[in-house]
Amino acid sequence: MNSVYDLIIVGAGPAGLTAASSAAKAGLKVLLLDEFMKPGGRLLGQLHQEPGGAWWNGIREAELLVLDALEAGADMETGVSVTALERTNDNRWTIWTNKGCYRTPFVLLATGAAESANPLPGWTLPGVMSIGAVQVMTNVHRVRAGNRGVVIGMNVLAMAIVSELRLAGIELAAIVLPPRNALSGKASDPDAVLSSLLRFADLAPNAMLKYGARFFQCSMLHNLALHLYPKRGIRMLGVPLQLRRCAIEIVGRDAVEGVLVADITVQGELIAGSERFVEADFVCIAGGLYPLAELAAVAGCPFRYMSELGGHIPVHSENMQTPLSGLYVAGNITGVESAKVAIAQGRVAGLSIAASAAAKKAPSEAEIKDSMEQVKRTRQEALIQFHPDIATSRAKMYQSELV
Amino acid sequence: MSYGRIEHHPVLGPLPRAAALSFSFDGIEYTAREGDSVASALLAGGVRTLRLHEEHGSPRGIYCNIGHCMECRVTIDGISSVRACLTLVKDRMSILSGTVLPTPFRQETKTEGSPDL
Amino acid sequence: MKDASIIVCRCEEVTLEQIHEAIRQHACSARETKLRTRAGMGICGGRTCRPLLDRLTMPSEGDSLTDFPLKVQPPVRPVSFAEWGQSS
Repeated sequence: MNSVYDLIIVGAGPAGLTAASSAAKAGLKVLLLDEFMKPGGRLLGQLHQEPGGAWWNGIREAELLVLDALEAGADMETGVSVTALERTNDNRWTIWTNKGCYRTPFVLLATGAAESANPLPGWTLPGVMSIGAVQVMTNVHRVRAGNRGVVIGMNVLAMAIVSELRLAGIELAAIVLPPRNALSGKASDPDAVLSSLLRFADLAPNAMLKYGARFFQCSMLHNLALHLYPKRGIRMLGVPLQLRRCAIEIVGRDAVEGVLVADITVQGELIAGSERFVEADFVCIAGGLYPLAELAAVAGCPFRYMSELGGHIPVHSENMQTPLSGLYVAGNITGVESAKVAIAQGRVAGLSIAASAAAKKAPSEAEIKDSMEQVKRTRQEALIQFHPDIATSRAKMYQSELV
Repeated sequence: MSYGRIEHHPVLGPLPRAAALSFSFDGIEYTAREGDSVASALLAGGVRTLRLHEEHGSPRGIYCNIGHCMECRVTIDGISSVRACLTLVKDRMSILSGTVLPTPFRQETKTEGSPDL
Repeated sequence: MKDASIIVCRCEEVTLEQIHEAIRQHACSARETKLRTRAGMGICGGRTCRPLLDRLTMPSEGDSLTDFPLKVQPPVRPVSFAEWGQSS
């Protein structure tokens, strides 16, 4: 049993790394654990152009954060899966992993988000991957997922990754909606999908989509746009974005050979006889992200369901503290937002923990306040708003009962 | 069909140099780059089926690539149920795919509503 | 679209039809659906299908939405007895 650390952080993504350096700089002995072979979390796959034209290269950003955390004196272990978390009588937390057991007074869960799926027939075939899986293969491992892909699902994450795949020269035959079934919800409703796409279309890298989106944004034209929307789609980055088509089945014997698609009405109903086969050797399932909070759940943390934030959120205050003594959360586990917001939240968590632990160089009240303001500023400036009501939901969470 | 590497990338630059490692999958030799996961090395080598479903025998490959779904589990150097997506390739690694296991109890108790997959 | 051909739980190959059938026949909760169909009981521990099962058994709007419909149990990742033994 290892009990030398003041703080153990689960998840070495943008939030965890930033929290590690903030807390270590304040004088705490910090250990970061991550299940993946490299630190960086979902940041590793990210690659997009900022409004000013500069590239946001997640691999580089992650390297900088790792360097910062290590220089601040934090320890880091990758390839470690945390399996359980328990509060013991001595006011400490016990963390079980596949490589030993730790005891510590403070735990920060920065486990990020996981992808949801929209199941359809054939989705267990080899060659069908979550879109995040394809992102990591492409940008981190530099491996082609296949020669020609189909993306099933249209959301912010999917669009960001589609542009990354195009950048890497990966051919995509089409982006279609998931089939309507008891699980698909709004993801298979052309109207709802169009609305959600328009929220970030102004920032789309592609002029066509950008101007097209401005045109569609006028609500009177919205419905017209859906009616007039060409069945073969509007090309975005050379890929037909087919809002009026859905996947019915992924076809293949030993692996993906193609996708059976069909046209749908404005209301999302299948149009009989419109089925066609699209050849492809890989498929990306793009179901969006939800906060990965399983460790908070086994620790006994209470939750709130907030659809704007992506699902079940561990109850926490604005300084990232949960109602369980010594347990903190930061990053996408508190709601799905951009990496920059996660970084800002990581700093809040690191500083709050340092203050609570009465660290040698504990931050002042003002410093913590300032870090919380920084989260709000970052959210306002975010390139992509995952949901329009994020700020309101956050405020609701922070005003509720609590700590 | 060719899979392989993304050699040139307009932003990330050319594929960085990395030591070549050799490993085997079901007795066939493959080459990986140092830093590859077992999953990425096999995909780059054109292998997409990593195992067959234990009961129904349907082929399975990488799905989530971050260690959640367990679909990519293989046997590595004698240790079973290892996630290919989270395991770094080491030189001379011996990897085996998973296959159908007997399920006599399930066969006996199969109800009428069970799928014929 | 046939629900019978949509696998929800990939580990145990449980279909949407089987889950619907269990819910319909037994009016069951998320937990009982899991026990009856084995959806979410495979090696991944519901890491992939939990959100889907939650969607199918989610209480309607207005109900209290606090806890997970399906309880999360440790260990949250499969772990061998050898590793478990080392831990303690």
